[in-house]
Amino acid sequence: MGKVPGSLRSAVSTALIKRPSSLVPSESPTQRPRFFPKKSPSSQLSGKTSQSKNTNSSETTKSPILFTSPDLSDAKKLFKSIVATARAPLSPRFHNSLLQSYAAISTVDDSISLLRHMIKTEPSFSPDRSTYHILLAQSCKASDSTLASTHQALNLMVTSGFNPDKVTTDIAVRSLCLSGRIDHAVELVKELSLKHSVPDTYTYNFLIKHLCKFRALSAVYNFIDEMRSSFDTKPDLVTYTILIDNVCNSKNLREATRLVDVLAEEGFKPDCFVYNTIMKGYCMLSRGSEALEVYKKMKESGVEPDLVTYNTLIFGLSKSGRVKEARKYLNIMTEMGHFPDAVTYTSLMNGLCREGDALGALALLEEMEARGCSPNSCTYNTLLHGLCKSKLLDKGIELYGVMKEGGMKLDTACYATFVRALCRDGRIAEAYEVFDYAIESKSLTTVAAYSTLESTLKWLNKAREQGKAV
Amino acid sequence: MLPPRMKKAITDNPKKLANLIDLVNLPLPLREFVGQSQISRLGCFMRVWSYIKDNNLQDPNNKNVVNCDEKLRSILLGRRQVELAELPALVKLHFPKESK
Repeated sequence: MGKVPGSLRSAVSTALIKRPSSLVPSESPTQRPRFFPKKSPSSQLSGKTSQSKNTNSSETTKSPILFTSPDLSDAKKLFKSIVATARAPLSPRFHNSLLQSYAAISTVDDSISLLRHMIKTEPSFSPDRSTYHILLAQSCKASDSTLASTHQALNLMVTSGFNPDKVTTDIAVRSLCLSGRIDHAVELVKELSLKHSVPDTYTYNFLIKHLCKFRALSAVYNFIDEMRSSFDTKPDLVTYTILIDNVCNSKNLREATRLVDVLAEEGFKPDCFVYNTIMKGYCMLSRGSEALEVYKKMKESGVEPDLVTYNTLIFGLSKSGRVKEARKYLNIMTEMGHFPDAVTYTSLMNGLCREGDALGALALLEEMEARGCSPNSCTYNTLLHGLCKSKLLDKGIELYGVMKEGGMKLDTACYATFVRALCRDGRIAEAYEVFDYAIESKSLTTVAAYSTLESTLKWLNKAREQGKAV
Repeated sequence: MLPPRMKKAITDNPKKLANLIDLVNLPLPLREFVGQSQISRLGCFMRVWSYIKDNNLQDPNNKNVVNCDEKLRSILLGRRQVELAELPALVKLHFPKESK
């Protein structure tokens, strides 16, 4: 607190100081996730600049929101009183954090005005690149229908002598994508590539990933082609992994195979991630033989399978009803020095339950716990589901007791199966209790939980009328 | 946040969900029971179910059966005993299809 005098504390930041100091650590984590995507590059940058500028660490921790009103004149007054009470000259970093905190609640125009005001009243303050990045991020986060305010921020930056660089592009792209303005992000990347610099691979791949998520595959390919032909920005191995993952998720294996070929043509050697992704694609379609094929190919080309590879393989084999082989790979992976985790065991249990061997799955739970691997809620859900399906309701109720004790959530399918099994067994009251637990533990929405209960009871009553069930 | 199957059910049949969660003007006996003039079918069911729990109306010998008290009887067709399994159907009687 060297540079901030005591008088300032009482005069300005009442909102900040009034609360106990424990507020600061409690507030920074809540603030961080919100700012994370933008902050990481900008903090990188300010890290670079800070070396030469000798900043006071106490100021950087003082970033919690000072400004409480989005009104510009209030902000100016507040700024004036801060400057008036400060003994030593304030560092640019302090100005930036002030601007940042104002930007969080104001409009872009007001932020720019405040910056102008700061420059005018405080001649010693010269804004640096990260100052403009604050404005840029703010303009990108606003839900505008055009890029006008982003251009405004960029123009301001250029006229102040800072040419947008790769970090600028990254900040803009991430902020735009996170506020759902993906078309604007594409537009801006093209524009910035044309005028200033091309995006680096991280920005590029981030954008590709977002495009894959929200746009058609053809749009992604168009973008890649355009970037390649206009700016010579080529997709790298990570890009291909993203693409393969995307087409696998949409179960388009033919396209995935094509992409693997393209990958080889471009001179990339597939790594563990690519293989894992392809394997996952096959596993999702329950094609165990192909998944094994990929595993063999991996071994042949000298890529060492990792934990994910084995988990995927065991999952795939279990899913396609080849539990025995899956078990074999459990042993192999242990020999290779990988520790099977909850995912491995849950996949195997799933396989066993599918075969109707819920008792075998229960035995596996014991084995798993004996080996020091603790089951998660997914494990329990799988088991409960399996037990209900194999008409081992008493064991299921026992397991449900454990889940309830541990406060675990029920998944939709497991809840439905369990409720149905209870009702079929004439334990309506217990089914109601499970219904209450599902809502209380926030496993399902009330609507979903009730719909299942209602339809199950309807079915039960119908069956009773026809004299079928108990 | 909804699971995919649920989402599909909603997009397939939005009316089904609507008739579960839309507020409905209540007939008089029900109005007295819930203490407000409008409620959804889901809300009404939750009210009745929590009323049963709060007043320990489940039969101690057979938890699947509810022994209705005066108040509950007034909205459940005047019956002394109802089964939990019928509860959704009984509540539904107060929410006829062509309401609105």
